[in-house]
Amino acid sequence: MKRLLAVAVVVLVLGATGVAFGAARDNVGCGFGTLLFKDSANNSTLLQSVQFTLNALFGNATFGITSGTSECKTPSKFVSNKELNEFVVANMDNLAKDMARGKGETLEAFAELLQVPQMDRPAFYQKMQANFAAVFTSDKVVLADVVDNSVTVSAR
Amino acid sequence: MVVARPLSSPVYGIVRPVYLFFVLCFLLSPSRSFAENRYLDALLAASHEKNLSQNRTWQVLLHYQQKHGRWESLIDDPRFFLAPDGKTNPDGELDSTLTAFFSEEQQRREHPRCRFVARYAWLKEQLGIDESKLPHIECAEFKEAFSRINARSAVLVFPAAHINGPASMFGHTLVRVDSENRTGLLSQAVTYAANVTDTNGLLFVFKGLFGYYHGYFTVLPYYNKVAEYNDIEQRDIWEYRLSLTPEEVQRMMLHAWEVRDIYSDYYFFDENCAYDLLLMLDTARPSLHLTDRFRQDSFGFWVIPVDTIRTVRDAGIVTDETYRPSLATRIRAIASDMSKDDQNTAINVSRGKTSAAEVLNAGKTREAKIRVLDLSAELLQYEYARKEIPKEEYLKRFLPALNARSGLGPQDENAYPITPPAPPEQGHLPSKAGIAAGYRTDSWFTEVSWRAAYHDLLDPDPGFTEGAQINFMDIRARYFFKEDSLKLWQARLIDIVSLAPRSQFFSPISWKVNFGLDRELLADNEDHLVFRLNPGGGFAWQSAAAGIAYAMAEADLNLSGALKQNYALGFGLSAGLLKQVTAAWKIHVSASALFYELGDEHQRFKAELAQSYAVSRRANLTLSLSREKSFDLYRTDAVFAWNVYLH
Repeated sequence: MKRLLAVAVVVLVLGATGVAFGAARDNVGCGFGTLLFKDSANNSTLLQSVQFTLNALFGNATFGITSGTSECKTPSKFVSNKELNEFVVANMDNLAKDMARGKGETLEAFAELLQVPQMDRPAFYQKMQANFAAVFTSDKVVLADVVDNSVTVSAR
Repeated sequence: MVVARPLSSPVYGIVRPVYLFFVLCFLLSPSRSFAENRYLDALLAASHEKNLSQNRTWQVLLHYQQKHGRWESLIDDPRFFLAPDGKTNPDGELDSTLTAFFSEEQQRREHPRCRFVARYAWLKEQLGIDESKLPHIECAEFKEAFSRINARSAVLVFPAAHINGPASMFGHTLVRVDSENRTGLLSQAVTYAANVTDTNGLLFVFKGLFGYYHGYFTVLPYYNKVAEYNDIEQRDIWEYRLSLTPEEVQRMMLHAWEVRDIYSDYYFFDENCAYDLLLMLDTARPSLHLTDRFRQDSFGFWVIPVDTIRTVRDAGIVTDETYRPSLATRIRAIASDMSKDDQNTAINVSRGKTSAAEVLNAGKTREAKIRVLDLSAELLQYEYARKEIPKEEYLKRFLPALNARSGLGPQDENAYPITPPAPPEQGHLPSKAGIAAGYRTDSWFTEVSWRAAYHDLLDPDPGFTEGAQINFMDIRARYFFKEDSLKLWQARLIDIVSLAPRSQFFSPISWKVNFGLDRELLADNEDHLVFRLNPGGGFAWQSAAAGIAYAMAEADLNLSGALKQNYALGFGLSAGLLKQVTAAWKIHVSASALFYELGDEHQRFKAELAQSYAVSRRANLTLSLSREKSFDLYRTDAVFAWNVYLH
């Protein structure tokens, strides 16, 4: 049964010419627009019909955080924290969106990594929203600036 | 004495390289004492006495499955086993594991006690191992990772299908492990996936089906998976909190540590992410027998991720579920309460035709401005994730929109409410069997049908994506009374239809592909079996009143000995309307015109009205009526069927 199905799927793909499949790749950077793109996501629908449960792996199989910020300048104002840096790099766009709205899960996670006490969080969120332009100073802003600016702003 | 021990042990029939290695260790390390060997012998004897190698936990930790009466591990990586025949020898593997715990080797990167932490923890508990009698080992790397993750509870995660990829209905499952007082985004996700390096689609499929890829367990930040599914693939995510204790979750993480970088051959259909994830959950609480339950419940020849949700639910360990809407779902939710004019303003901001400053200066209420700017930011992210706009343009518009938004201050706590749809495990079961009575131009017949999986346009939609059909192995046979003949009527291997409605926000392409055997009316006025490959593409639109309307251009290749030149290749158009009339009643009206210009030249026109009525979650009734003209011959076909969803 499985063999029959398998043959069917193979023939189907043979019939569809020019199906290209790009392996997963990271679009890394230290600033905005850092998304983990998967070429297979929306583009080749035919391939998807046979892709089933298979999800390509990002990078090497390692335990723990893999995105990496080695090429990024690290923040100066907050004790160097790998987890914080990697979070900000991977979530900068959503973090900016949450900050502009003054709420959201990404902003909560950011506050947690900055070790803002629970009771100070509402004020922290409000400050971040009110001083958005001082945190995200330009579209060229990078990890180190965002963390340093946030720390500066939250101390105001 | 030292050399004699492994050889004289009844378990080892042959001398294996690993023992020679240990022998070498003994000789090289004077610290290996007589007392240690005595202690090892005692532990080995105790483990034999307690029959630990036949213990359920040992079987789970080593992924042993009974195959044709003998035990075999699903793991294929030789590095996972300490005995050379460990894959098929649970007894020998246990002895070798205990022996390896005593090794003082520094040559290898990781000491077996630091590597096989779950095995060590379990054996230590079962045998009361006194660590002071073992060589002193520091597992710094493990301790650091383990305390960083600090696993306290576990959540099963299921990303639902994305709107235009019916195959993604097969989804993916992963486990998220949470530590205390942290938002879920910062948790770690344990996922099993194949490591694919091929760019050739054909090779990819072949290798995937026949187990040529290696599957690995990986632990990575959950926010990466959320971004991948919610923001890039536009899939809603379902999260099921499990009632596992912190100790059980930690046991699972010990196992996750020992299987990292370890491969198993990955098979798309059965040894896939869904099955291996159940194995992982079994290591948390071996008495759950999730993989065994699954083998009993499921259909046998493949594993569908949503079935794992049912299995885990049936095991009674799901405490609650949460819904994490995709970016596309959030866009719909924000837009749903906006005027047409405001929606268009948001689109214009995302396309750079209106500036964020203009929105602020427009004569709108503060509330309306917030919505416009929030929607445009989401649209920009959507378009960027779909690579519809380049990074420079995205950046030029995204930040100003957020900047303008931040000045408008906070908004209600629950500004854009989203009502979660029916969760996937509440949908109908994937396989279906039916019996029918019918009439086909001048003969009455009865029909039996069977479908292996998964969802038809006329099946009940709750738990599925509306307008997305994926049928595998759809087989029908008809017995005609008049001619007293039984005929195979249809054997479709794959029949996919993806009707993805277009709107001012989204502009997807709808598509279909259908492949297998069908009966067709040919020139000799008989219905013949033809092999068919029938792809198509087009557009679909949706409105509350009319349902989903679609139009597609199609190609149709038919192969049959009954055709002139044995084939016919045609092109044409099809259109239809799919409408959910009441909660139980659905209608699909369709028409097609195909012009076969190559091979056996002819035309075929067909109009059909199909309806379904859901009697219960397990059964439905369908009535389909069609009229067709082919080779200037006519047929009327009517079928009334009763269908039951199984497995």
